[in-house]
Amino acid sequence: MNDREIIVEDLVKSYPGKVTAVQGIGFRVEAGKIFGFLGPNGAGKSTTIKILTTLALPTSGRATVGGFDVVSQASEVRRVAGVALQDVGIDPLMKSTELLVLQGRLFGASPAEAKARARELLELVQLSDAIGRRSGTYSGGMRRRLDLAMALVHQPKVLFLDEPTTGLDPGSRRDVWREVRRLNRELGITIFLTTQYLEEADELADTVAIIVGGKIVAEGSPAKLKAAMGEESINLVFEDAQQAGQGRVALAEMGERIQLDRDMVRIYLSQAAGRIPAVISRLQQEGLTPVSLTLTQPTLDDVFLRVTGERLVTSEVSKPKSPRSSRMAEAG
Amino acid sequence: MDKTNQRSKPARSANTTLRLPEQVLLLVIRYLTTLLRTPEALLPPLAISIFFLVIYQSTLGKAADFIPGINGSYLGFILPLSIVSGSLSGAGIAAQNLVRDIERGYFDKLLLTPINRAALLLGPILSGAVILGFQAAVVVGVGLILGLKSATGVPGLLVVIALGVLLGMGFAGFTVSAALGSGSAAATQGASFLFFPLTFLAPTFVPLSLLSGWLETAARVNPITYVLEAMRALLITGWDRTAIAESLVACLLLAAAMYVLAAIALAVRTRRT
Repeated sequence: MNDREIIVEDLVKSYPGKVTAVQGIGFRVEAGKIFGFLGPNGAGKSTTIKILTTLALPTSGRATVGGFDVVSQASEVRRVAGVALQDVGIDPLMKSTELLVLQGRLFGASPAEAKARARELLELVQLSDAIGRRSGTYSGGMRRRLDLAMALVHQPKVLFLDEPTTGLDPGSRRDVWREVRRLNRELGITIFLTTQYLEEADELADTVAIIVGGKIVAEGSPAKLKAAMGEESINLVFEDAQQAGQGRVALAEMGERIQLDRDMVRIYLSQAAGRIPAVISRLQQEGLTPVSLTLTQPTLDDVFLRVTGERLVTSEVSKPKSPRSSRMAEAG
Repeated sequence: MDKTNQRSKPARSANTTLRLPEQVLLLVIRYLTTLLRTPEALLPPLAISIFFLVIYQSTLGKAADFIPGINGSYLGFILPLSIVSGSLSGAGIAAQNLVRDIERGYFDKLLLTPINRAALLLGPILSGAVILGFQAAVVVGVGLILGLKSATGVPGLLVVIALGVLLGMGFAGFTVSAALGSGSAAATQGASFLFFPLTFLAPTFVPLSLLSGWLETAARVNPITYVLEAMRALLITGWDRTAIAESLVACLLLAAAMYVLAAIALAVRTRRT
């Protein structure tokens, strides 16, 4: 068993008198991969992360982090796992170095080691310029980055990030993404992150699991999930609507579906990228030259719509209705 | 950027854990650092202690001539009250330290480290004790400026301060329990005030011998009574071993009961569900 893996088997969490928050989920996060847990508020994401980071106990089922059982080997799990919870837990009266040194000392580092480590981490998350200031004066994005640094103090092999960019402006969000990718690529840390942003899962995750109402309704790489939608398209813009009309006629036989919108033709076909040459040569036979050509792939939003029957509305709790989920792998 | 994993010798991150006294010391230093950054929370209790000392002395100072058992030193009689009320506010400070961490989510962060659970209690309590020791020393200093004479000299004054600290640490067990139980600053503040009336169910303004009826009964089971009596003996009459022993027992009993409560509150808060 790999010391960077996360294995979850048939995990259930129910609260007395309330709904079952997590209803028998199972997945495996391979070493050094980024796993995105995507779902709306209340889908069971935070509950799962709390169980995996030893802050809560599962009702039934089994989970190991880095080879250690989250129930019976909680302190070992804490050694190998770094955690940045949704609410940034830093003391606003303390300076970043003080927080990091204290954290390092509690994990057993000597004062000199803890100081050196704090300096490295502040450099890593690009907070070196703000060392002298109390963390309470930091912007939201800076606080997240400091929290990330705190989660890394003891050199974890697995990193848990609970909605790392919720509430951040787009610029800070991209900063956090860059850090997450860097940690994964350069340090080989396995990363488990929850998010309610499709874009975030798409951007970061090697594997995405969509969780709705405590159940995983789809799982796979973003590309695979989207490819399964079969909704790729080639978009061609012509000089004018008349040429576009001719283009449409020329291409009518090639795609599964074709749309004309003024000077633009959109042709839906599987493995669209590989068929661009054929499309171009067909147009050339007719003496048509498009002004521009773009390839559109389905988004995770389309996947989400397909498996849940609803758009992912980030502020609303979606009901797990999946009438059209037949094409997606349903996990139990 | 491989250096983050290699340059600073991560060897110790495997299994080393800091010993409890070191953990407590780290937390105490941290709490004191943050307390010093919020002087607005520290100075009012101190100012109030001194204010009451001056007011009592100015308005009631002459009463020493009328009330038997005060032996002509009203300042020596009333200064212990100032110190005891300082002990209460010191207990409040200990709990505020903790509740702030809980509210900010920093407490959870500490729980995710290999920290000893006892350090989570002792850190805030001992930092509160340091503050109230300092506060008691200032009150004694002001007393000396006002003309306080200690029947047991400087050593006696140190014992007076130590008793104030000990009493405060017992109270802190209660306020810290409230912080752990409620997780709310407002509720913790409320709980801190619960002890305030206790200050007056004691020989607060007249000697114990002048109390009667229910008030005397209440005073006899109130640990504050024994602390006040011992402090007064030290300041006015001299080394009264019985009074000192009784006050120590009272403080220890209070602390023992409150720390059991605190340990339960901690276990409940940190229990995984």
